[in-house]
Amino acid sequence: MSWIRERELSFLERLTANILKAGPMPKHVAFIMDGNRRFAQKAHVQRQEGHSQGFEKLAETLRWCLNLGIHEVTVYAFSIENFKRSKEEVDGLMELARQKFSRLLTEQENLEKHGVCIRVLGDLTLLPADLQQLIAKSVVATKAHNKCFLNVCFAYTSRYEIASAVKEMAWGVEQGLIKSSDVSEVLLSECLYSSNSPNPDLLIRTSGEVRLSDFLLWQTSYSCLVFQSVLWPEYSFWNLCEAVLQYQLSYQSLQKARDLHREGQALQQMEEDRSCVAELLQHRGNGKLVDSQSRQKELLNYIASREERVRCFLNALQHKRDTFFSDLSTSRQGNF
Amino acid sequence: MAILYEMAWRFLHALFYVQRALVAWFRVHIWRWKRAVVGLLLPLALGLHKPKKTGTISKRTSRRVRCGADGRTLEKLPLHLGLLITEEEIHFTDVANLVVWCMAVGISYVSVYDNQGVFRRNNSRLMEEILKQQQELLGMDSSKYSVEFMKNGTDKQEHQVLSCQSVVKVLSPDDGRLSIVQAAQQLCRDVEQKEKTLKDINVTVLDSLLRESKNIPDPDLVLKFGPVESTLGFLPWHIRLTEIISMPSHVDVSYDDLFGALKRYATCEQRLGK
Repeated sequence: MSWIRERELSFLERLTANILKAGPMPKHVAFIMDGNRRFAQKAHVQRQEGHSQGFEKLAETLRWCLNLGIHEVTVYAFSIENFKRSKEEVDGLMELARQKFSRLLTEQENLEKHGVCIRVLGDLTLLPADLQQLIAKSVVATKAHNKCFLNVCFAYTSRYEIASAVKEMAWGVEQGLIKSSDVSEVLLSECLYSSNSPNPDLLIRTSGEVRLSDFLLWQTSYSCLVFQSVLWPEYSFWNLCEAVLQYQLSYQSLQKARDLHREGQALQQMEEDRSCVAELLQHRGNGKLVDSQSRQKELLNYIASREERVRCFLNALQHKRDTFFSDLSTSRQGNF
Repeated sequence: MAILYEMAWRFLHALFYVQRALVAWFRVHIWRWKRAVVGLLLPLALGLHKPKKTGTISKRTSRRVRCGADGRTLEKLPLHLGLLITEEEIHFTDVANLVVWCMAVGISYVSVYDNQGVFRRNNSRLMEEILKQQQELLGMDSSKYSVEFMKNGTDKQEHQVLSCQSVVKVLSPDDGRLSIVQAAQQLCRDVEQKEKTLKDINVTVLDSLLRESKNIPDPDLVLKFGPVESTLGFLPWHIRLTEIISMPSHVDVSYDDLFGALKRYATCEQRLGK
């Protein structure tokens, strides 16, 4: 399969993998695959060749992840900021994407056998129409697969994703599906492009840069961040193991921080619900005092109705997104 | 077989803990030894006949001058530096030292963060400690080198714009995701009340809402103290281009540690997508 290398681990690699797997393993790893151009300069080849090798390395890394039991991977393939690059380079990258997605569509059997689900996150309308269609076809074709998940961030920035999620919630409010008071951290997470995935446990950035560059800013707040100096096309199984080890060393502190955050979130939601109920009762009350039992009953009713509203809204949102992809995959000219 | 792997895993992790503990021990003890030696030799260098007070003052002045000069030797200095403490036990004096050194080097905005909200809850204690260390380390009276403390929600005090003014901000996880949610709620309310349409919601609008009246730039650099490799909820929206440099610990941190990190920051190259 072109997107996942068919190669087994060596004896030493298998031994290391088994030892690592005795500890907590990340279920979802995100990669910022940085360093293709520096690699090309180092190896005295064209930039395009650097990007090509970068893709080959991705295929290899996906294989290693599967061997390590990591079933979800998100990669930063192309940022909205990357459109600033020279036309030649951008066109080259688009062409590479065309080749790879086209190839993917010819490997349906293999994809089904391995249960690979491909998702593409980003503002696809910024891409050439034919590429949009290829991407949509790949997403629709692998939608039902559920053994392993590859999320490709293409024409993506995190701020754009967050603003887009806010827009979706505003759409929900406009449609009368939810109220503005239903807006919460949990709901915002459900409106991101990555809503079908858990937050990454581990984020790896190669080439020595120590910044996030507008990648999964919301989702990686409590993830383990590992910055490695190796250039992406030179990434090795040992580099991956080193990152997993770093994750294991930070695991307990991160669990604690996440639990603390979740508690805070739940408290925040409870406070919000209580204040909404108080307002409701005030409007209805006509000055009458409400006893605590009725207040509690009202609170439970309110929470149930809020959860129902949110459920309907999320269904509508999922339907909207599914329709977008299925329309795009079957349309002749694509979206502009 | 599984038991063997588990034993090997435990052994591997035990090795790492030992290595980390040894490194931390060496770092603290070597620095303490260095400081003791300097403490012994400096008075000798200044001359034993000089009164102790002058000695301290000239030490402070020379340190302040040195910090300022150091700042000017760097190719670039962060406009806004974030101090992210991931360690559970917080030493306020060490944090105050860091803030004061940052100010002396010429950094305009310094923020202090921990994910448990300790700084937020002990805001006044931190402020006191910073003012104390300002006096102690740099011997400056507050009128010349003013520090502005900003808390969420309180109005900005009127300060003269002096060349040596720094702003210190205390942050907590509420300033992160929760602020984004609050901004989202605001925009949704505007749509609900038909004051805005969906077209009015974009990155720029959200960004300006998150900035509000505080014209604090995004952090250019975050110094993360402690062994936890995560931002732990630090300003997710604002750190999109922030350099994140890890430091082993904030306990007994030295000026040289800080300056080393600043030197490293000065060599970072941001291509901004290009």
